[in-house]
Amino acid sequence: MSAKAKKLVEECAAEKHKTLDLVDRSISNIIDLPGFLNLQHVTSITLAHNKLSSLPASIANLVNLEVLNLFNNQLEELPTSLSSMPCLKQVLDLTYNNLNEKSLPGNFCQLETLRALYMADNDFEYLPTEIGQLQNLQILVLRDNELVALPKEIGDLIRLRELHIQGNRLTVLPPEFANLDLMGTKNVFKYEGNPWAPPIMEQLKKGLANMFDYIKSDTYKYLYGRRIAADAPPPPRSHDKSKKASRKGMKAKS
Amino acid sequence: MATLHAPQFLQPLNEQNASPLFRRRANTRERDHAQVGGGGADGPNFGSSRFSDTQANHDMQLGPDGSLAICTRCHEGFDVTEKIVNSGGDVWHPRCFVCAQCFQPFPEGVFYEFEGRKYCEHDFQVLYAPCCNKCGEFVIGRVIKAMNTSWHPSCFHCQLCDAPLADIGFVKNMGRALCRECNAKEKASGSGKYVCHKCHAIIDEGHIKLKGDVYHPYHFSCASCGTELTPDAREKNGELLCLRCHDKAGVPICGACRRPIEGRVINALGKTWHPEHFVCAKCEKPFHGSRHYERRGLAYCENHYHQLFGDLCFVCNNVIPGDVCRALNKCWCFNHFSCSACDRQLSEKTKFFVMDVKPVCKHCFEKFPSELQKRLKKASDAGLG
Ligand SMILES: [Zn+2]
Ligand SMILES: [Zn+2]
Ligand SMILES: [Zn+2]
Ligand SMILES: [Zn+2]
Ligand SMILES: [Zn+2]
Ligand SMILES: [Zn+2]
Ligand SMILES: [Zn+2]
Ligand SMILES: [Zn+2]
Repeated sequence: MSAKAKKLVEECAAEKHKTLDLVDRSISNIIDLPGFLNLQHVTSITLAHNKLSSLPASIANLVNLEVLNLFNNQLEELPTSLSSMPCLKQVLDLTYNNLNEKSLPGNFCQLETLRALYMADNDFEYLPTEIGQLQNLQILVLRDNELVALPKEIGDLIRLRELHIQGNRLTVLPPEFANLDLMGTKNVFKYEGNPWAPPIMEQLKKGLANMFDYIKSDTYKYLYGRRIAADAPPPPRSHDKSKKASRKGMKAKS
Repeated sequence: MATLHAPQFLQPLNEQNASPLFRRRANTRERDHAQVGGGGADGPNFGSSRFSDTQANHDMQLGPDGSLAICTRCHEGFDVTEKIVNSGGDVWHPRCFVCAQCFQPFPEGVFYEFEGRKYCEHDFQVLYAPCCNKCGEFVIGRVIKAMNTSWHPSCFHCQLCDAPLADIGFVKNMGRALCRECNAKEKASGSGKYVCHKCHAIIDEGHIKLKGDVYHPYHFSCASCGTELTPDAREKNGELLCLRCHDKAGVPICGACRRPIEGRVINALGKTWHPEHFVCAKCEKPFHGSRHYERRGLAYCENHYHQLFGDLCFVCNNVIPGDVCRALNKCWCFNHFSCSACDRQLSEKTKFFVMDVKPVCKHCFEKFPSELQKRLKKASDAGLG
């Protein structure tokens, strides 16, 4: 860790800066930054491009924190206390870490004010069914994860206008997915790079509108129900993630 | 049939000199019948007649048929100079044309005839005219026969509420003449029951009260839900509500559906709402606790507020004052347009990369792991951004 990081924290504490820029300071543990957890006046901390594998629960001391940028770290888990931070909200960028469904604290979906959740380049196979509680979510990015299924509760995200699920292991979509409005010109739906089941693939080729109509149909609901009942094994992992930079910390540990 | 006559030699009566009693009688010449419910009554009718022709004097006077005139009473003829009273085709000496009871001339020439005999007013009334049971005066004209006695129509009143009964009928109740309303009340109080203020019938099952009066519940419907009321209805602020609506009345009412809110209440726009009824004015989707944006008394979801009234900054989520940076389907305040990885400010002229439809500064992009850079470039080349 660079000595500059400690100095930046001291400066921020002394001069009461509202923002703290710790981009690319090779930080691997918050504990190595004395005084960091006392920065209660700070509203924005950027920790992008570091080597954090976890966050201490006491991060919740930063009661005025609104923006916490953890882009490109090696995070494997998030503390439960994250949901109790009163101001932390709206945009959470967890892109390029080592997170999966087990890394999320059980109360993660209580971050009801969340507007955008960036979790591309992580290791999610499933999403928690509580995802439907994120009623303000407009942007959900799960590009290049390991998703094998989406919960039907995704259909509850009525304000969603950007959904990125490209590069996963999805074969079908729950019929409730048709509740989402992702077809407008201002909306974004990225679905490429999944092993879609043939009927879905066929509809996608005809166009998004066709696909949405199709998954609303009774025929599809029947097929989907049968498929869920059959409980077929998910498709295998297709891309090798061992070269991910975020894996480096894990290798070092093992 | 009694007839009122006046002899021809007396001065004719007119409006100016007629006695009040006579005028009253003359005015009741069109006979009327009183039909009173319950104890039907019809008094005797009295007639009055105009005076007959005046006759000239003769030596030995002749009757109307030319024969020698004979007094109807004493059967004597008339002297030439003698006056003849002519009434109804018969002739009399003036001394014989008198009341059959008191043998006096008829005062003011007014007489009553009954069963062929003529009486002065006084004796006729004493002998034949009914007396009003209330005021004790004779009843001339319309008589109400009720309760085994007679009444002036204007004297026949309900003994409890004093309502005139002549035209609405009456009911006998323990020797009293009562209007139907009072009779029902009396009967009800006797039996411990109420009388409906609307239909005046006894309320057998259960009553409701409105502004102090008692009614059959079924005359009303609930002011809130419109169902026909039952005895468990309640009065609130002068309105009648069924029990269900009354119990909910202390409960907030939804600004959208106007129904009571039993569970969670949303307070917004100065009103209360069912969570599922507090919706965006544009898309009508419920907010369900998500932030809403108010404008002119309406609430909008963020998207539609943004769409209708302005752009919301991707970073601070406020409506953007002044210049707007637009890129990637998003908007930013001028000073909030920044790299999504390092949060460092970008200018509109700065070259930036696109990752997951958000901007990344060149500095950050170069710091990306090379395998990510490769994937992003590949996706970008494939047009999948
Ligand atoms: Zn007399
Ligand atoms: Zn009277
Ligand atoms: Zn009634
Ligand atoms: Zn009601
Ligand atoms: Zn409602
Ligand atoms: Zn809306
Ligand atoms: Zn802003
Ligand atoms: Zn940057």
